[in-house]
Amino acid sequence: MLFNSLEYLFFLPIVFIIYWALAKVGLSIQNIFVLSISYLFYGWWDWRFLFLIAFSSILDFFIAKGMLAVKTRRLKKNLLLLSFLVNLGMLGFFKYYNFFLESFFSAFPFLMNAKTDYTLNIILPVGISFYTFQTLSYTIDVYRGKIKPIDDLIAFASFVSFFPQLVAGPIERAVKLLPQFQQPRIFSYNNTVNGMKQILWGLFKKMVIADNCAEFVSFIFNGSATYSGSTLMLGAVLFSFQIYADFSGYSDIAIGTANLFGFRLTKNFSFPYFSTNLGDFWKRWHISLFNWFRDYVYIPLGGNQRGIWKRLINVFVVFFLSGLWHGANWTFILWGLLNACFLIPNVLFSAWNIDRGVESVSHSIIRKILGGAFTFIFVSLAWIMFRSENVNEAIVNYRVVFSESLLAWPYFPEWRRAFFLFFLLLFFMGIEWFGRKGEYAIEKISDKWPRSLRWMFLAFIFFLIGVYAHTEETPFIYFQF
Amino acid sequence: MKKLVTQFGLFLCFCFPFYVLCLILLQTFSPFGVLRKNINYPIGGSGHMHSRMKEVQELSDLDVLFIGSSHAYSGFDTRLFEEHGLRVFNLGSSSQTPLQTLLLLKRYLDQLQPKTVIYEVNPYAFSVDGVESALDIIANDENDFLSLEMALRINHLKVYNTLIFGFYSDLFNIHKGFKEGKQKGKETYISGGYIEKDLAYYEPKSFAKSIWQLVGKQKHAFEEISNILLDKDIETIYVQAPVVSAYYNSIINNSSFDSLIDSYGAYYNYNKLLQMDDSYYFHDYHHLNQNGAKKISQEVLKLLMD
Repeated sequence: MLFNSLEYLFFLPIVFIIYWALAKVGLSIQNIFVLSISYLFYGWWDWRFLFLIAFSSILDFFIAKGMLAVKTRRLKKNLLLLSFLVNLGMLGFFKYYNFFLESFFSAFPFLMNAKTDYTLNIILPVGISFYTFQTLSYTIDVYRGKIKPIDDLIAFASFVSFFPQLVAGPIERAVKLLPQFQQPRIFSYNNTVNGMKQILWGLFKKMVIADNCAEFVSFIFNGSATYSGSTLMLGAVLFSFQIYADFSGYSDIAIGTANLFGFRLTKNFSFPYFSTNLGDFWKRWHISLFNWFRDYVYIPLGGNQRGIWKRLINVFVVFFLSGLWHGANWTFILWGLLNACFLIPNVLFSAWNIDRGVESVSHSIIRKILGGAFTFIFVSLAWIMFRSENVNEAIVNYRVVFSESLLAWPYFPEWRRAFFLFFLLLFFMGIEWFGRKGEYAIEKISDKWPRSLRWMFLAFIFFLIGVYAHTEETPFIYFQF
Repeated sequence: MKKLVTQFGLFLCFCFPFYVLCLILLQTFSPFGVLRKNINYPIGGSGHMHSRMKEVQELSDLDVLFIGSSHAYSGFDTRLFEEHGLRVFNLGSSSQTPLQTLLLLKRYLDQLQPKTVIYEVNPYAFSVDGVESALDIIANDENDFLSLEMALRINHLKVYNTLIFGFYSDLFNIHKGFKEGKQKGKETYISGGYIEKDLAYYEPKSFAKSIWQLVGKQKHAFEEISNILLDKDIETIYVQAPVVSAYYNSIINNSSFDSLIDSYGAYYNYNKLLQMDDSYYFHDYHHLNQNGAKKISQEVLKLLMD
């Protein structure tokens, strides 16, 4: 079931009403209901993969309990390794089996004849990368003693499969979300209205900005060989808006939906395109994933503490893993490494500033604008790798972008149809700019306005969705990860 | 919770008129349509639909009613039938799908009371969502509950938005003064609903192999049409107008469409029944020119006389 589908439009109010009606019956019944609707939501795509989530939930539930029961640290560690092995094993099998096989046979072409014997027709379960990381964070935190294992299997299974964030995050930590399943949720008018506003803004981002950009991005990238460097760069810029609006739109709908049910989820995007340097950008983009890598990979590897070379290596490891996490394609891995390369000056500069005891944040407006522009350009350049079908196509695209034709006037035959998009992007980024102090763009933007003006503003967003939404249901980009 | 329900209800009551107002302003003032996406009000658009809908209001007691897509209005030359003393009207419209045919028949069948209906069917009309044709009818005919029913069946934002503007336009007679010329480009509207095109000839080209995928709601609408005509005891002849042979042969599953229509009554697929020279009888790959229209009209006339 997609957030931008007619089914969800009916599903959400129905489950909302039943959920709050059950609040009087008891917490455990409410949790059973959350678990049931989460499984229904997920099973809408493919019910067979429900067994996978259920298995993962039960396994990690008992592994965590086992960690409490065992006496020695070694046994505890073995249980953690078992959790790693099973969860990452499932992820590896479903997501990377054919990719590694393909890479292996490419490296050893003389064995190519045997390839068909080993190739499997595997369907990727939606959201597997997200919920695997979520359950892993639970067992790791129990191992580290940050949280105690939970006794309530229903609450734990609900935490793993909580439908708003199940298929594309935010990747929640047990420390934050699990206690919310153990405490009674209290209905709040303000939270609900806030949630509805965030859902509205998320839908606008997805259906109006992302899906309309997608049409032109596909048009440009599908014919990239025939276009100039400037046109391709325009395609990369539009893709920057598309992927941001698509993914942060999903996160907004997820967080807004969770709000309706009395849950608080992690903020996943913090207006990343207003970052003034790349380091800042990666603190604001897909926050829940990069925080996961920070806490479970970067810091255990030594983080910033063991000298500049070690720090650089750690950055490369994190970005390599983040690229691999995105998908079974070399383009994603290279996208991760490219971003790590772009980050090198930033890492060196901040280390140098720390050595000199100088504050690295600039207060000059001109430096901020220039920094913002360069950050956006570098991020957009890296998105070319991400958007290309394969590495060869990416190389061709980069060659075109860095040719003389980058200075030519961008051209593609769909300009007239793209005209409205220019105004929509202006509106979108304008609202994001004025609302950048809030949790999401329209949270506080109209707070102090009279009710009539506030409603007019919200109704105007409805109007923009009605008049400019892409009319075919298109899945969110991050569903494939 | 009570406050939420009240406030949300009030917001919706505020939101809907605001939405309608913005929609009207956008449709009325946006330059050249470049700022519009999910609204299109093609009054006087292609196929002289406005003239046809005006003319149909004056008619009753027909001998033959033609209905279908542009293949119907540019294929069945009403003048030829009138020469043989038949009272006929061509209610074809651009890209008309069964969903629009159903609406037009529900709206006009009782008034026109035709003895025979010649229904031009083609697999393309069964394979599309019917949005473009719906807009054509909404913009060029008066809207009523049937328009809303059609919009709900199509379930597309563009149709809903255009219908809202259509109701506004009907209510305030916004386009009352609109007049459509008889001659538009290379097309001339002939009284009786027929469109005569300036004679042009098709230049042959090749087509990739393809397959028709019929849409469920179009098949349901077709079934409903067939039942209505059957209930009213109106003789119905289903006709598939010819297209150029290279195009027809490029479609892999023509026979399954034929067997579907065949199961509903008398059906004549002129792609199979006639051998027509593509470069003499066709205007483009799926429209007949005046030579072709004359030929197919004669064939249909023979059917009626038999």
